[in-house]
Amino acid sequence: MKARARRPCYLKPASSRTFIVPRHVVHQARPLIVSPLPSRSGLRLGTCTPYLTALKAPLRGYAEAASVKFSRAKPHMNIGTIGHVDHGKTTLTAAITKVLSNRGGAKFTGYAEIDKAPEEKARGITINSAHVEYETDCRHYGHIDCPGHADYIKNMITGAAQMDGAIIVVSATDGQMPQTREHLLLARQVGIKRLVVFINKVDQISDPEMLELVDMEMRDLLSTYNFDGENTPIVMGSALAALESRDPEIGEQKITELIKACDEWLELPARDLEKPFLMPVEDVFSISGRGTVATGRVERGIATKGAEVEVVGLGAHFKTTLTGVEMFHKELDRGEAGDNMGALLRGVKREQMKRGQVIIAPGSMKPITKFQAQIYVLTKDEGGRFNPFMSNYRPQLFIRTADVTVALTWPEGIPDAAEKMVMPGDNVEMVCDLVHDVAAEVGSRFTLREGGKTIGTGIVTKILA
Amino acid sequence: MLKTRPAIFASLRFYSQNAEKPPLKLVAELRKLTEVSITKAREALAASNNDVSAALDWLQKDLAVSGAKKAAKVAHRAAGEGLVSASILSRGTGSSDGHGGVRAALVELNCETDFVARNALFGRLVADVAHTAAFLAESGSSRQLERTYVHPVPREQLLDAPLLSAEGPGLSPATRAGLGSQGTVGSAIRDSIAKLGENIVLQRAVTVTHDPIPRVRGDLGLRIVSYIHGGVLPTQGRIGALALIALKSPRLTPLLGTLNFCEELERIERSLARQIVGFDTSSIRGEEEGALYNQPFMMFGDALEGETVEAGLARWARQKQLVLDTDGTDAGGLEVAEFVKWTIGETADAL
Repeated sequence: MKARARRPCYLKPASSRTFIVPRHVVHQARPLIVSPLPSRSGLRLGTCTPYLTALKAPLRGYAEAASVKFSRAKPHMNIGTIGHVDHGKTTLTAAITKVLSNRGGAKFTGYAEIDKAPEEKARGITINSAHVEYETDCRHYGHIDCPGHADYIKNMITGAAQMDGAIIVVSATDGQMPQTREHLLLARQVGIKRLVVFINKVDQISDPEMLELVDMEMRDLLSTYNFDGENTPIVMGSALAALESRDPEIGEQKITELIKACDEWLELPARDLEKPFLMPVEDVFSISGRGTVATGRVERGIATKGAEVEVVGLGAHFKTTLTGVEMFHKELDRGEAGDNMGALLRGVKREQMKRGQVIIAPGSMKPITKFQAQIYVLTKDEGGRFNPFMSNYRPQLFIRTADVTVALTWPEGIPDAAEKMVMPGDNVEMVCDLVHDVAAEVGSRFTLREGGKTIGTGIVTKILA
Repeated sequence: MLKTRPAIFASLRFYSQNAEKPPLKLVAELRKLTEVSITKAREALAASNNDVSAALDWLQKDLAVSGAKKAAKVAHRAAGEGLVSASILSRGTGSSDGHGGVRAALVELNCETDFVARNALFGRLVADVAHTAAFLAESGSSRQLERTYVHPVPREQLLDAPLLSAEGPGLSPATRAGLGSQGTVGSAIRDSIAKLGENIVLQRAVTVTHDPIPRVRGDLGLRIVSYIHGGVLPTQGRIGALALIALKSPRLTPLLGTLNFCEELERIERSLARQIVGFDTSSIRGEEEGALYNQPFMMFGDALEGETVEAGLARWARQKQLVLDTDGTDAGGLEVAEFVKWTIGETADAL
């Protein structure tokens, strides 16, 4: 309570009505953990209440309106809407935020706001996508909506907003369209395993029997593209009705049902902490009397002192014991995702380790030299190449802290491989042949650089050797 | 009572199968055949007494009306995606097809999203339009006084032309079932708008034609090559070029008779087309950056390090004995006479 009460005092001292402090003084005072200002001016704790209530009021309002308390601990998941331009993707997104905002789980985002799909940059790549976030009873969702196939692919490759699931929107009046196939193929390509279908505009259909047909056709099509057509939840409603707060039985209730279907059917991706330990080696030191220490930022997982770990990459592949974990010159019992730590390794010589290797939970990853990858080649405007390249192009591949020369070739069975070219702006599936082994797995991301500039970025899709 | 009941049921059933409520199975079947919307399929069955073939006829007629209505509705929407497609009916001197004349077309059709651009239905439409443009192009002989061979096709003229199938007249009835024989290019585009629900625009079209070069000028040759990049099919994509290649050599006729030379010729032609598409090419010769002949010939596998396109072509002509050192300076060789290069979504000024 004491700490909470004090917080506003040094957060907003400049606006204090009881004493005036010049701004530059405030800035200097800020780094101090416990602000001496209130006591110096003779204020008792109680005088801080104006700020306290000011800060608390919106917080409490938020918490009261929500059916559950705002919590960062809710698992996060990215989903996207895919569908034909006229079938109401944007209306649905707006409707979801509206329905959830009534419960305090979202800020209502109107149609016009979502429809803009602003350009943004991720890893230097321009992507058009609209982002909305909302929260259900058990999850926090990031919702993306891209205008085109290429934008979703770029999103997938850069990891800007990796979609873990998707809502396919189909209008009841039209049913699936010829391009619905392309939508499902896209979902497959970006690695989505489960979908939820929303059949929109049911208020515009006179005969409910027709909905059966849409349902039947969608399940057929889902099965054709290797989705679970039989069990995929299909929700029928009207996003517009929900948005306009009319006909709750096809509007709001159906949106609620859709959200519930997402919560229940779409699978959460594993959280970083739950994954096996991985720390890319940034630097290696030899500390006399203690041994070899490798430093780096833990990418995922947890490693406790005394645990067995494995060093993989750049020719190394051996097991050792993590005898110590250090952060800020202090010893710790364990290191976890996000920590910048030093790892003290038993019986390892300094020469055995170098930047670019990884320290992992034993057996969780293998050193590889050849793999297939989906690559996006940056355009000239994105700082990439000006000219195309052909098979056997050899840029530098950067994966985590490793930097290895790679040869890019076409996968087997591609016709006219010798004459096929790749232009800036292309999405291509290519085989990467590394001159040294590095630790990587399906889903690992990397960038390609040449002559000091990034020319491409990619994601491993298949391990070949 | 017992006797009347079945009668009532029977009449009920009859009623439910009547025009007002077409059975789901038939609606589904009709949709499989035609890819029309559910509402439309239902309407068609209702209007034709649940007879599928009659419904197909009904749809055929209706599509002209509803397609036009839909087209008008979406006409204002921006169409910035789509496909560039080439059709080469006759590749020119030395080729076995088309008696040695040149006949080809390049078209651009736009749609709203790249989902539709990747769809087979749209791809087929674009291929058919390109084929039609190439097929109906006026022969070059009527234009002999002009120095260029690439001619824009007026949009209205192409829209009114009867659509020809790129896959030839002997088409399987399945693909042509229902809404098969589309009539004109314009009506085929409207049909596609009705099916795909996106605005589709014929942006531009050019044709390249030239009559076969007479035998007496056996030292001259004219050939056409295309390269299209970034599509699902090799003849369609986001960016593409047609290039007209001129050949001149006293030894041309015998050389074209050898298989090896023809293969090498096609290889360097493809390299040239790729070079035009891959690099920022805006002209053939000149001092500016976009001049093809000044570019390093990176798209040609046999090019020497740093060799320009111009030097590469000259070296190739000597290597393949198209010209000999003993020949005069203007003895000939191989050159790019003209090209056209398009990228999807560029502002169209060709028409």
